[in-house]
Amino acid sequence: MSKPTVGIFGLTGCAGDQLVILNCEDRLLDLISLVDIRDFLMASSENDAACPLDVALVEGAVLSNKDAEKLRTIRKRAKMLVALGTCAVWGGVAAMDRGADRRKLLEEVYGKAGLDYDSLPAQALHEIVKVDLNITGCPIEKEHFLAAIANLLNGDVPAYPAYPVCTECRMLENNCLLIERGEVCCGPITAAGCKARCPELRVPCVGCRGPVADANPSSFLAVFQEKGIDPGVIASRLRTFAPEGVVQ
Amino acid sequence: MRTIAVEHLARVEGHGGITVELEGDSVSNVRFDVFEGARLLEPLVRGKRYDEVAPVLSRICSICSVAHSLTSLKATENAFAVRISPQTELLRELLYRGENIESHALHLFLLALPDYLNYPSATALAADKPDIVLLGLRLKKLGNLIQETIGGRAIHPVNAVPGGFGKVPAVDQLLELRSALIEGMKYSDTVINLVSSLPAADFCRGDGVYAALLSPNLDSYYAGDEVMIACNGDRSIVRAADYRMLTNEASVPHSHAKHSTFRGKPFMVGSLARLTVKPRRSTGRLVGLRERLQLQSPAGNPMDNNKAQALELVRDMDRALETIEQLLRDGVKDERPVGVHPRAGTGTAITEAPRGLLIHSYTYDAEGRITSADVITPTAINAASMELDFQRAVTQCAERDDAVISKRLQMIARAYDPCISCSVHLVRRL
Repeated sequence: MSKPTVGIFGLTGCAGDQLVILNCEDRLLDLISLVDIRDFLMASSENDAACPLDVALVEGAVLSNKDAEKLRTIRKRAKMLVALGTCAVWGGVAAMDRGADRRKLLEEVYGKAGLDYDSLPAQALHEIVKVDLNITGCPIEKEHFLAAIANLLNGDVPAYPAYPVCTECRMLENNCLLIERGEVCCGPITAAGCKARCPELRVPCVGCRGPVADANPSSFLAVFQEKGIDPGVIASRLRTFAPEGVVQ
Repeated sequence: MRTIAVEHLARVEGHGGITVELEGDSVSNVRFDVFEGARLLEPLVRGKRYDEVAPVLSRICSICSVAHSLTSLKATENAFAVRISPQTELLRELLYRGENIESHALHLFLLALPDYLNYPSATALAADKPDIVLLGLRLKKLGNLIQETIGGRAIHPVNAVPGGFGKVPAVDQLLELRSALIEGMKYSDTVINLVSSLPAADFCRGDGVYAALLSPNLDSYYAGDEVMIACNGDRSIVRAADYRMLTNEASVPHSHAKHSTFRGKPFMVGSLARLTVKPRRSTGRLVGLRERLQLQSPAGNPMDNNKAQALELVRDMDRALETIEQLLRDGVKDERPVGVHPRAGTGTAITEAPRGLLIHSYTYDAEGRITSADVITPTAINAASMELDFQRAVTQCAERDDAVISKRLQMIARAYDPCISCSVHLVRRL
């Protein structure tokens, strides 16, 4: 059987999800023996930029018409398109204030020339094209990526936790940063899968994996208000990694 | 007019390209183009509370996320006059060294080395010479282990917070790091032998100007508040608060990017600059290793940045081990972060990211909300120097074959180890 063809792409972002792939140091050579990576600009200077792909892994958000065009081209080439990471799944940090006057910000950072830039408010991939699988995280967890590849090779659909970070944190029997210390912890409304990495280190969750499907923001807000936390701070936290309005 | 263009620069972090235009034999225009969308994180972070700033701004770049995170914390702590504990300082330096080991191993073995051996990628190289790639992966993993242990995650560290660390690593975790480092250090000679045996790469010669952090113990990445600039034997010092003297972003005739210059001259930052500005960084057995690598001082060949990274890679394993020994000797204290009391003011921090000087400068209001953020990255600083070296390479190349010139330009770009996601301020190609 011929190996499945794979392309790994980055739109606008920090390249962290591609770096997670390169960080699978112990499995990288296994990976390239199981799949045929045809297009991976970050790792190779010889790429087939036109071949059909069984799987396209795309990280980053759409921040320009050029990004959108690139994404549409990838979609046409790929049987399956996987959004890798919070930017691709939710828009990520660049999408935190999509209502801002972009022209004003461009001019502020780049001067008058900025006004002519090809620049769009950050969008998640699913706002532009059909996405077949979302692997969230900022960055994605190495194990989730490897499990996804293993599942796809076996014809299975990967599944990820549908519960919040809070659940993982309780299973680890940590003291609650929100209830016991009144800290702004986004654990109750953030998708699990990180093994409660931050609260495990006594650091409040910043919500970098994006919202959990069955989040209950109103009860979460009530708890914060009870703790006397400034509603402005809460609102700011909630939209740092996933803007309002990106509904899957 | 003739144009030599590299549309999509491969094996670098982010999206960029190179364009060189010639009129006859003289270069009329040279550009390092940035194709990244503008994320505008500096204005977007405005209004955030001080403890939200580092988690957002670390996202500027994954390979340098420790650098961004720690520089951000240092700037915030400077603004509030927070004094971190000596143990925090040691742990941050160790975390930074972990990032440098990972980043250099990735860059040297997976991104830069394939060019020297005529392979398109490390995966292609692995098919013929698996030992080289496995060595790179082994050292890369060691760097990641340090980042995971101290920072809580290899990319976008979570454990470093204003005032210190969420949770200080336990003794058994440090012992595990110590064993891993002792194991990694066994490969030091192999790294130096490999890099010193690579075919010579000498494509552009010229007077180099170099800048690096002036740190108290000469080779810190994190500690230090002044920059030293070396230009033909002259040395000047710029304080962190005066960083705009280095980043005055001037226009130049041969490019449309705004350039960081010092007294009108582009300058290089990164490993080679660190070793050139402060030659005393090489002591003990490093002097011998440096000689084996034939690393000249003063440097004049940007390709030597790859050799300088090899030397730092070996040196950083030694230093990381020393730091761990010191922590174990002093006894690791389970400290909580020191108190952070916001006040209105400005804080500027300069550190050495793997690819060179990184500057974060913030202003806060009395409630601890950030009102302005300015981030100057090594790739943005290096752009001017890189374009000057592209120009030199084309002018100095005896062959007129565009494919030869193109490969040289790409190798020079990669030697600078650009991180294009990082290049916050670089003017985008329209």
